[in-house]
Amino acid sequence: MSGASIVTLLAVLLVVVGISLLTRPRHSSTVDFYLAGQRVGVATNSWAICGDYLSAASFLGVAAAVYVSGLDGAWYAVGFAAGFIPVLLLVAAPLRRFGEFSLADFLGRRLGSEPVRLATVGVIQLIILAYLVPQSVGGGITWELLVGQGLLGLSPYATGVLISTAVVAAVVALGGMRGTTWNQAVQFLLLLMALIWLAAMVASDGFRYGGAVAELSREPLMNPAYTPEGWVLVPEVNQIDAGQPATFGEPGSRYGRLGQVALVVTLAMGTAGLPHVMNRYFTAPTGKAARTTTVWVLALAGLFYALAVMLGAAARALIPGAVREHPWLEPLTVDGVLKIPEHALPVLGRIYGGEAGLGLVAAAALIAAMSTVAGLLLASAATWGHDVYERHLNPRATQRQAVLAGRVTTLVAAALAAGLALVLHPNAFTPALPSLVATMVTWAFAIAGSALTPVLVLAIWWRRTTAAGALAGLTTGTVLAVAMFTAGSLLPPSAGQELLATPTLVTAPLATLVIVLVSLRTRPPADVDSAWVLMHGTAADRRAERLAELTVGARPALPWRALPWRGRTDRQRTGEPTHEGLGDRRGRGLRGDLP
Amino acid sequence: MIDGDGGPGDSEDLETRDTPAEVDAAFRTLRRVAVGYFLVFLGVVAAFPLLSFTLDWWSEARVLGDLSPGFLTAAIGLYAVFAVIGMAAASLSSAVEARMLGGPRDPEAGP
Repeated sequence: MSGASIVTLLAVLLVVVGISLLTRPRHSSTVDFYLAGQRVGVATNSWAICGDYLSAASFLGVAAAVYVSGLDGAWYAVGFAAGFIPVLLLVAAPLRRFGEFSLADFLGRRLGSEPVRLATVGVIQLIILAYLVPQSVGGGITWELLVGQGLLGLSPYATGVLISTAVVAAVVALGGMRGTTWNQAVQFLLLLMALIWLAAMVASDGFRYGGAVAELSREPLMNPAYTPEGWVLVPEVNQIDAGQPATFGEPGSRYGRLGQVALVVTLAMGTAGLPHVMNRYFTAPTGKAARTTTVWVLALAGLFYALAVMLGAAARALIPGAVREHPWLEPLTVDGVLKIPEHALPVLGRIYGGEAGLGLVAAAALIAAMSTVAGLLLASAATWGHDVYERHLNPRATQRQAVLAGRVTTLVAAALAAGLALVLHPNAFTPALPSLVATMVTWAFAIAGSALTPVLVLAIWWRRTTAAGALAGLTTGTVLAVAMFTAGSLLPPSAGQELLATPTLVTAPLATLVIVLVSLRTRPPADVDSAWVLMHGTAADRRAERLAELTVGARPALPWRALPWRGRTDRQRTGEPTHEGLGDRRGRGLRGDLP
Repeated sequence: MIDGDGGPGDSEDLETRDTPAEVDAAFRTLRRVAVGYFLVFLGVVAAFPLLSFTLDWWSEARVLGDLSPGFLTAAIGLYAVFAVIGMAAASLSSAVEARMLGGPRDPEAGP
């Protein structure tokens, strides 16, 4: 381990732990622990959502996918970025205005059904696990590259998995949503700065984007494969026109015509059903702020992905020429092409910044994994702690007991994810799945987009949605998605296999159809009008803005200004109807926090 | 409680509460906005593969920075389009809400 690596690691840990200590919840209330007091402003929330969303799959995986597949790898970036359009148009503002603790809480209350709540908890845990494991894998890969040494007799990979997961679990258990929010916001800014630094370095070295892509596209695209004779470069098969070689700059190296569309749809529709991302919307002060936040996220995520795609192309173009000058690249490459594509950005960092550059990029990768793990653990805690423990296991729990339950479930989920990541060492997957981290995350998007998104969108926009319809949709979407991507991962590449591997194009319409048919045959909840006024009215927003004006000295209410209260949900503050009187219990023993 | 009870001080309530009828009208308008922009979004995303498979120019021409139109779109253009769609949809939705909900209301007219 070099001095630069030690300094980098210590700096990352210091930032993470320091922020958590500074921003730890000041009250033992669930609103504070899970929702950061519902007072996170637009700028902070948009950075935090980006930190939450832009995981190891985005930082390591997108550049790796472009590195290994050229233009076809960019579909990951397009799909990830596109995901916030459905969120903005269909979900963000109404979800926030209804104002609950989690997606399971939202659906359970909107449809007046505990079975819907519990079924949603099950689906959410499946999504979280599918998303959490690759982040822990990303932490292990990064430690392996950055430090290269294990502790206590463990391998470097296992050490990375355990340390990164343990640190985040401790941070989340300590800091709750407030600490996690600030951590994710700062971590996103560090992540973005790392990409900008890397882009500036390759550009200053004479890298010309268009020229490099044109140059790479002149030759057939070839990637390392392990054969009985050892590692060799093998040309990629053109999935669109088998008679033509696949090239870097044209579609076809990884996906056929249907596969491109299926991937983008799976990623775009999945975002609206990702529990860790959508839970962040409950922390916004108003529905309008939630909407504005999403616009910021679209712009920031677009910048991030554009840079990641560019750097994937830069790595492909520049690394072959760097092998002679940097002998440490030889064991990592085959004729100048990286054996593990996820190494693309860290290797670029080391080429242009030496050990410090490697340390910076590896730290950014570690940060990307950690900030997403934090969001996932918090989402897991919210569903187990609030939707299961508070609602079913101990309905008379005090605020302190409820928060403790959230902290314990955080640690259990972290242990489970780390255990699975240790089993799934990436070397075992690389020859078959060129970008393991991004591929595993795709599974989470498939379940989210197939099961949760259709139910969520219909619950917000169709009055006739019923609990029975939602249950049928959740079951149909989950079962079909898991069955299809499992089958898709076992079959050889073909158009059918692509559709199976990224199934939302088929499963989401089917789940929607099932929800509609079952809902039409069953009775909708009695209080739909109240739910509609909450979700689609703006009374709570206006009251919040007026209160902000009054308490912040009659200045105009700015959407990014944190609002001056804490410890109470919107409906308690504004007098809107609460369901089942739970709002009173939430606020027990709490007080406003006026300046 | 949705509406004020007509007592003293209710003018403030009228400004800070929405009636189901108002909300329903705003909801229908917002739904049209959302569906309209969603169709634009789908059209943009679907146009890429269509252009790839129907126009040689899309892959072979060289435009900004020597990149092909297809690569340029996937690498930069689509993210810019998504941001523009987002800004336009958010502005219109917020304008609709501001216009249709929370405006001054004649207390005599009832809910």
